[in-house]
Amino acid sequence: MADYGMSSEELEQMYQEVILEASKTPHGKVSFTAGDGQQATIGVDSLSAGESTLSATHEYCVPAQSHQFNPTCGDEVTVRVEISDGTDGKPQHIEHLVWDGQGCSISQASLSIMVDLVDGKTVDEAMELFHAFHKLMESRGAGLDDEAMEEELGDAVVFQGVSRYPMRIKCALLGWEGLKDSMAQALAQMNAKEA
Amino acid sequence: MVDFAAIRGEFPILDQQIHGHPLVYLDSAATSQKPQTVIDAESEFYRTINAGVHRGAHELAALSTEAFEQARAKVAALVGANAAEGEEEIVVTAGATAGLNLLATAIGNASLGRGGDAAKRFALKPGDEIVVSKAEHHSVLLPFQELAARTGATFKWFDLDEEGRVRSDTADEVITERTKVVAITHVGNTTGAITDIAPIIRRAHEVGAIFILDACQSVPHLAVDFHALDVDFAAWSAHKMYGPTGVGFLYGKRELLEALPPANFGGSMVELAWMDKPAQYMAPPARFEAGTQPVAQVVAAGVAADWMRAVGMENIEAHEKTIAAELLKLGDIDGVRILGPRENVNRIGTVAFDVQGVHPHDVGQFIDAQGIAIRVGHHCAQPVHRHFGLFASNRASSGVYNSVQDAQALVEAVGKVRAFFRV
Repeated sequence: MADYGMSSEELEQMYQEVILEASKTPHGKVSFTAGDGQQATIGVDSLSAGESTLSATHEYCVPAQSHQFNPTCGDEVTVRVEISDGTDGKPQHIEHLVWDGQGCSISQASLSIMVDLVDGKTVDEAMELFHAFHKLMESRGAGLDDEAMEEELGDAVVFQGVSRYPMRIKCALLGWEGLKDSMAQALAQMNAKEA
Repeated sequence: MVDFAAIRGEFPILDQQIHGHPLVYLDSAATSQKPQTVIDAESEFYRTINAGVHRGAHELAALSTEAFEQARAKVAALVGANAAEGEEEIVVTAGATAGLNLLATAIGNASLGRGGDAAKRFALKPGDEIVVSKAEHHSVLLPFQELAARTGATFKWFDLDEEGRVRSDTADEVITERTKVVAITHVGNTTGAITDIAPIIRRAHEVGAIFILDACQSVPHLAVDFHALDVDFAAWSAHKMYGPTGVGFLYGKRELLEALPPANFGGSMVELAWMDKPAQYMAPPARFEAGTQPVAQVVAAGVAADWMRAVGMENIEAHEKTIAAELLKLGDIDGVRILGPRENVNRIGTVAFDVQGVHPHDVGQFIDAQGIAIRVGHHCAQPVHRHFGLFASNRASSGVYNSVQDAQALVEAVGKVRAFFRV
């Protein structure tokens, strides 16, 4: 690799192999829009328009989506989740998780690694991971002092380097915020149905 | 011959290492660095003559008032405006954004019938038109878009050509007999393109419209004479012209400032205030300077204006032209596209670019690691980015202190970006 000066170490700590790789071929990324898959507009919540067309793959699942936007750089993502309602005999879990969006390598890689980590997990487990990842991103480069938690986060611990850069933390959290919000919406729909 | 290496030495902030590299500052379009003389002027004011201006009769109040008014005159001299007492054409504002909002609010007040007969020339009603361009900074776009919404006026805009230049050639079609206000940028803050404003101003005046110039990106880099340009109003900030933050200036032709109703109300802008009668407001510029002014910063801005004139605006322009030429070599890098004029003609050393396949945040991070400061994002100009089919970009922008080597360092670093991100 070329010499990037004294700062190459910092730079490579931030852009770890896993991140660069995941940002190139992100997992869970699909195209929500018909046609060429390009988002027609940037900075317009075009992707939220498809709300009424959301449908579940199983009748025991409730679908929901969340659109997240970072106005400073235009990173944009819509996360779609299907949560099982428990009638399949298992605890409420993420049955299906996909997203569409565009943004920097940090946001794209974070989404990809998040999908690997939480798809199939129960809602409680996913929320635990959400909080652990939040903690990691608030650690200012120090990481977590909880080894078990770091173990749980798997590949997501590579974002420890990113947590040193306040301007980029939001990039790493964008997808996770979408996950949390879409799960909350799905649960709210379930509660509404029960009531 | 000006020694620009010595001029660079007057900026203490530039003498430092960032991430182990000497700092290369190429973000002057966001804010410029300050020469020692400007930094000193602010603290010198506080050390020696700090007092409220235009109030009180003690010695310090007199001295600070004199310094404040001298600073106004220095700034006026930089842009070819009148400064004689009773003829002042420079209003102190809290920044370019504040100046543009002041103007939009004052025009809105005139539209509500405030300011009497004299202000009727500014009044807007449904069917009238406000014209801007797609190249505008949000600080021009939004105040005038809101003004249109408040008054019922129609909001229109000039389109841009493929290099992002305002289509001045369409002035006769865009500006009509119903157009009352035209607000256009002098230099695009993203494209660096100098707008051919003469045909727009001519057309605006032909139909009786007022012409407002966003001079934020021109005053720091070009010799500007508002009288010669025949603009009616112009707004810009001190912090982009080597002065302090928190201060800007609004130029207005004297007769227009006299006719314009105030936008902000309070202390030091009123002659007579009553409980049961309408107040009588002061003449400009005081009418537009309600409240305590940032005196130390205004004084320092005056020092900055003098400093620029001492270097010589023509010299600054010529020097930055050599930086622009070097920055434009970014366009020769595989996968790099310049968003703005590619020729070094009618443009300044502000060069925005897109690196295919690499998000601006990633580009900026990589560039920063080499100690080079550029801006990444939409630069508060989303419509111009949409014009180029993007949301965000990378922007390098020169200042008087930059060297050709600075630009070369950037070009070299950008040349490595795509390999690092494997595209």
